[in-house]
Amino acid sequence: MDIFSNISLILDTKTLALILGSTITGVLIGALPGLSSGMAIALLLPFTIYLEPSQAIAAMAALYCGGTFGGSITAILINAPGAPPAAATAFDGFPMAQKGQAGKALGMAAVSSVVGGVISLMVLITFAPTLARIAYKFGPPEYFALAIFGLSMLASISSKSPVKNLIGGLIGLFVATIGVHLTTGISRFTFGVDELFEGISFVPVLIGLFAMSEILVQASKSELLLERIKFSAIKLPSITEFKSCGKSILRSSGIGTFIGILPAEGGTVSAMIGYNEARRWSKNKENFGKGEIEGVAAPESANNAATGGAMIPTLALGIPGSATTAVILGGFQIHGLRAGPYLFEQQPDLLYTIFYGMLLANFIFLVFGLMGAKIFSRISLIPRGYLWPSVFVFCLVGSYGLSQSMVDVYIMLISGVMGFFLRRYGFSPAPIIMGIVLGELVENSLAQSIIIFDQNIFMFFTRPICLLFFSLTFLSLFYRPIKNLIMKGKKDE
Amino acid sequence: MIKKIQSVFLCFALVVTSIVGIGQVATVATAADFPSKPIEVVTHAGLGGGTDTTARMLLIRTRKNLKNNAYITPKKGDSGNKAMSYVKSKPKDGHTVLAITPTHLFRMARGEAALTIDDFVGVARTTVDPIVIFVNAKSPYKTIEDLIKAGNKKPIKYGGTNVGSVDHISGLIFAREAKTKIAFVPFEGGGAIMTSLVGNQIEAAGLNLDEGKDQLDAGELRVLAVMADQRMAALPDTPTLKEKGINASFATVRGVVVLKGTPQSAIDKLEKGFLKAMKHPVYQNYLQGAGLDSSSVAGAKAWDTEIKSIYKEARAALVSLGLAK
Repeated sequence: MDIFSNISLILDTKTLALILGSTITGVLIGALPGLSSGMAIALLLPFTIYLEPSQAIAAMAALYCGGTFGGSITAILINAPGAPPAAATAFDGFPMAQKGQAGKALGMAAVSSVVGGVISLMVLITFAPTLARIAYKFGPPEYFALAIFGLSMLASISSKSPVKNLIGGLIGLFVATIGVHLTTGISRFTFGVDELFEGISFVPVLIGLFAMSEILVQASKSELLLERIKFSAIKLPSITEFKSCGKSILRSSGIGTFIGILPAEGGTVSAMIGYNEARRWSKNKENFGKGEIEGVAAPESANNAATGGAMIPTLALGIPGSATTAVILGGFQIHGLRAGPYLFEQQPDLLYTIFYGMLLANFIFLVFGLMGAKIFSRISLIPRGYLWPSVFVFCLVGSYGLSQSMVDVYIMLISGVMGFFLRRYGFSPAPIIMGIVLGELVENSLAQSIIIFDQNIFMFFTRPICLLFFSLTFLSLFYRPIKNLIMKGKKDE
Repeated sequence: MIKKIQSVFLCFALVVTSIVGIGQVATVATAADFPSKPIEVVTHAGLGGGTDTTARMLLIRTRKNLKNNAYITPKKGDSGNKAMSYVKSKPKDGHTVLAITPTHLFRMARGEAALTIDDFVGVARTTVDPIVIFVNAKSPYKTIEDLIKAGNKKPIKYGGTNVGSVDHISGLIFAREAKTKIAFVPFEGGGAIMTSLVGNQIEAAGLNLDEGKDQLDAGELRVLAVMADQRMAALPDTPTLKEKGINASFATVRGVVVLKGTPQSAIDKLEKGFLKAMKHPVYQNYLQGAGLDSSSVAGAKAWDTEIKSIYKEARAALVSLGLAK
């Protein structure tokens, strides 16, 4: 491979400075709930016309990488995922911070993010044109099968009771049905509120269920129970801890890259499935949701791998692999550039600049993340009386900022109160979030498939990829009972 | 001494009140010194989408031409209706501009929208993107006639964006006018439609040229017809539906409007600023990158007439399809 012979493309001060600036901006914007990297890139677009096209695209791609990582910082420290892909990071990241291990969680997030990001970039530069064609194999029926597989872990996504997890999942699925139905155009559960026609927006629910409900939990705790400051909070993870997560990180990087390639899904679903699989294969299943370090490593490597993955169809086919890459494609247009097979054949320089830009961005946020971890982790040491009221302001601004709508703020507050009571009665927010994330996909892809199949649902079983996911789902649901049956049979003999 | 301080204070108070007074006069006398404050462009779509990007590219040079700041306010929701009700609440002084697309016009045509077709006037058209009928390159349908014939035997699975959108209506009108049948498969966006078409999940789709251009050039897709009155410069060999005797011309047209009642001098200034901005290479390069013709740009008069005619057609189409009363 001659990948490294082109590194000189980004080795000038202006490009390097741009990538550095964009990555750090990305991390900060990603960390703030309600501000997303897609939004930041959209705002940046008009300014990039004064840059060289390759510099502009490299800067946007670097911002995308930084933004995906940034979401984990607030997810871990204050239980407010800065962006939807970081939702799964909060499941274990925040409990770790509460146990006084914020530094470990942040350090692990930074390292696993970089591993995921770099692996997906290597896949991008070597196999993109071939792999991108996977996108064509995935039609609505395949998305349906994938989403069903994702939902099969619903009952066991958190260590809480499986029945409660299922109820939580159903609440999530219900929330996902609000709004105008895709194939019929009928509005459901909107009660005439215009803002609900396009469905409940995910970010306010996320902020409410995690951060807002946490504020209420914290407020209801007696001040006397306050744990003393733990000096270990700023400690980074040890080499053994990294090693123990190695398998999870690799698995999640693969999952993330693959799901990232699929145009309809990206970082959020990758992180959820990465988290699920880490839990499925882990030896300490019962620790998940209570501050298991693997539970931070898995979603973080998955969602960052999804950034490289999402760039694969974007660059190789000109089909955006995620909302943010759609904006980056807009950037191509502004500069009169075109993505697609053409890019790989005729403009390798541009391709390499993007590749190096993203690679460099990964290393920048590694350094920034590891050095910053020691500083950021001190946030977990701020007395609760000061910390949580400021988080409340964050929640309000974050949910309003998204589309300048008060309805979103009300949604955030309602989900906060709901989250508080649900948690009080032993429900975890994880299955609810999972239900919302996958609910829309399940429903829309099923409705589309039914039209495509001329109303004959048995056609699902004629598609190889569907069969594969259906069998995986079957195995994941019935593996244990079957295993028990076989064991029992053996004993009887 | 005290008197001196008093008089200084009095003078100061006088100056302050007069400045405030001037300010008030200025907000009333908008026509004479337009623009007197930054111009707000209200969009209905997500950041980074076609409408948003077009508006941003438009504003880059408009700011220079009008020697004034301008910014974008996204008001997403209810097919453009949120943006319309927001604009309705603003004064008719030309400082609030609405970016409209057929989505708004279809929303109005369905009824109960915040604005009616007579509530605003066109200022400039920014893009014209006709809907092109694509099929898979390996599909047995080589011409539009093949597709029409096939649809008569079994409805064609035809992809497009949301129910009630210009994609949906144009597909239905095409089917009605060509006396064929389609089974409409809605998707959330152009990318998903295109991948489903290349992956043979659906048989045909109505897309903007730009959405399928890469796949067309790569030999994965084929174009059968353009829903326009004239052939597209980028597709000189592709017939229009009109040539085939099918009366279905639809495009994703974008442009800007202001509320009716805005002083004519303000409209003129806006129009001039926008048109000059769109002649600039910054905007022209953007159009070219998106596969669009420079004839996309049009002035107030042409645009206003076009809006009214799109609305009329949309209204007639929706009523005849039973989607509006």
